[in-house]
Amino acid sequence: MPVRSVLYWKPNQGNVMTNEEVMSKISECIETLHGVEDQECHCHACVTFYTPILRDERASFADLPQDFVGVLMMEQLNKQFFVMQSRWIVVEADSLILPLIEKLSSYKPKSYITLNGTLYKMGDFQIRLFKVLPDQGNLKGIIAEIEYLPISSIEQSKKIMEEMVDTLNELASKKSLEGHFVQAKANYAKYGLDDDYTSQHTAVQYAATSLTELIQSALRSHDN
Amino acid sequence: MECVVQGIIETQHVEALEILLQGLCGVQRERLRIHEICLKSGPNLGTVASEVRVLCDLEQSEPSWAVRHIGGAMRGAGADQVSVLVRSMVESKTSKNVLRLFYALGYKLDHELLRVGFCFNFYRGARITVTVASINKMLKLHATDEAVPLTPGIQLVEVTAPATSEIYTEVAYAMSSFCEYLAPLLHLSKPGVSTGVVPTAAAAAASLMSDGGGTTL
Repeated sequence: MPVRSVLYWKPNQGNVMTNEEVMSKISECIETLHGVEDQECHCHACVTFYTPILRDERASFADLPQDFVGVLMMEQLNKQFFVMQSRWIVVEADSLILPLIEKLSSYKPKSYITLNGTLYKMGDFQIRLFKVLPDQGNLKGIIAEIEYLPISSIEQSKKIMEEMVDTLNELASKKSLEGHFVQAKANYAKYGLDDDYTSQHTAVQYAATSLTELIQSALRSHDN
Repeated sequence: MECVVQGIIETQHVEALEILLQGLCGVQRERLRIHEICLKSGPNLGTVASEVRVLCDLEQSEPSWAVRHIGGAMRGAGADQVSVLVRSMVESKTSKNVLRLFYALGYKLDHELLRVGFCFNFYRGARITVTVASINKMLKLHATDEAVPLTPGIQLVEVTAPATSEIYTEVAYAMSSFCEYLAPLLHLSKPGVSTGVVPTAAAAAASLMSDGGGTTL
């Protein structure tokens, strides 16, 4: 499948624009690149953060993972992905894994992030622009997913992806946006994923980006 | 949820059972080689201790993986009235890292088995699966090439069918009706209810083998 690169918007310190304003300006940047909004397509994904259920709440759970994340993508509602960054694990499962996890009663959802977005078509590229919405609260961040349709090799598409990211960031700067897109790094080889792009690669990026977004958002809230 | 009954058969009669099943099911048998890794939750994890089975199908050129959770049996008057066990069961197909995932989640290896045999999947009032397999243990961790039978000379026969709380009685009836055809060769009952081999098995098997399945038992 075509390669995708997932980016999160990193505002500069002291930025005064709201996320809604930034979102609007970024949409203008994409339209400057002749991106056309696909009105029929509503992009959606959900990242769920799980926490262990303990029989004795006072006991230590330091050896249990704190970064067990589930990823559900609208394009593949019959699939569920799980990512654990600290152990370089990604698993793809059919949707029955969710009732199975529930029956085990060993992990439960603690919080989740919803990604609601718009698809822009730009020739060989597609860009999905997502609002990051926590389970409670307003728009907390922005994620962009760039898809390069002709190539499924990550290595072969690397240069052109970097050029597109640079182009987007240049346009953002010209629009006086105080921030830039950053690609969440994902070492696919450590996850056992090869150069041929798959949905598991996307899940790994969503998990990495969502965790970074959450941390950033928490830091911004703390600063405010 | 699924309905299930089990029984045992001597290995020498498995070929006869296969002939009988072939005639009854009308489908081709599928070979089976499943590595079953049984995991238990570590101490303090979960409201209660839990078990999960990671299944690796070794029969395909590329191994495929699944995770299965078998829950408690249905209780009450409804469950007592049927001759099959009705229990919660969820199975999800997964990619290959699922074992690493569960180890990372705090699950530990309890035991592992290798099931080698065949199965028939067919529809006869319900979607029924009959599995005939030897159960083997591994002498070294995950060494499926060095497995030895747990019960030499004896194989396990399982008949299962998916069910829901609304239709389990119909499924149970369909299964029970089907199992009656197997009665001369083996007795099938709820798991945990010990039955042993049936005394008519040898004669029934001989009849099947000499006749190629043409004889009505």
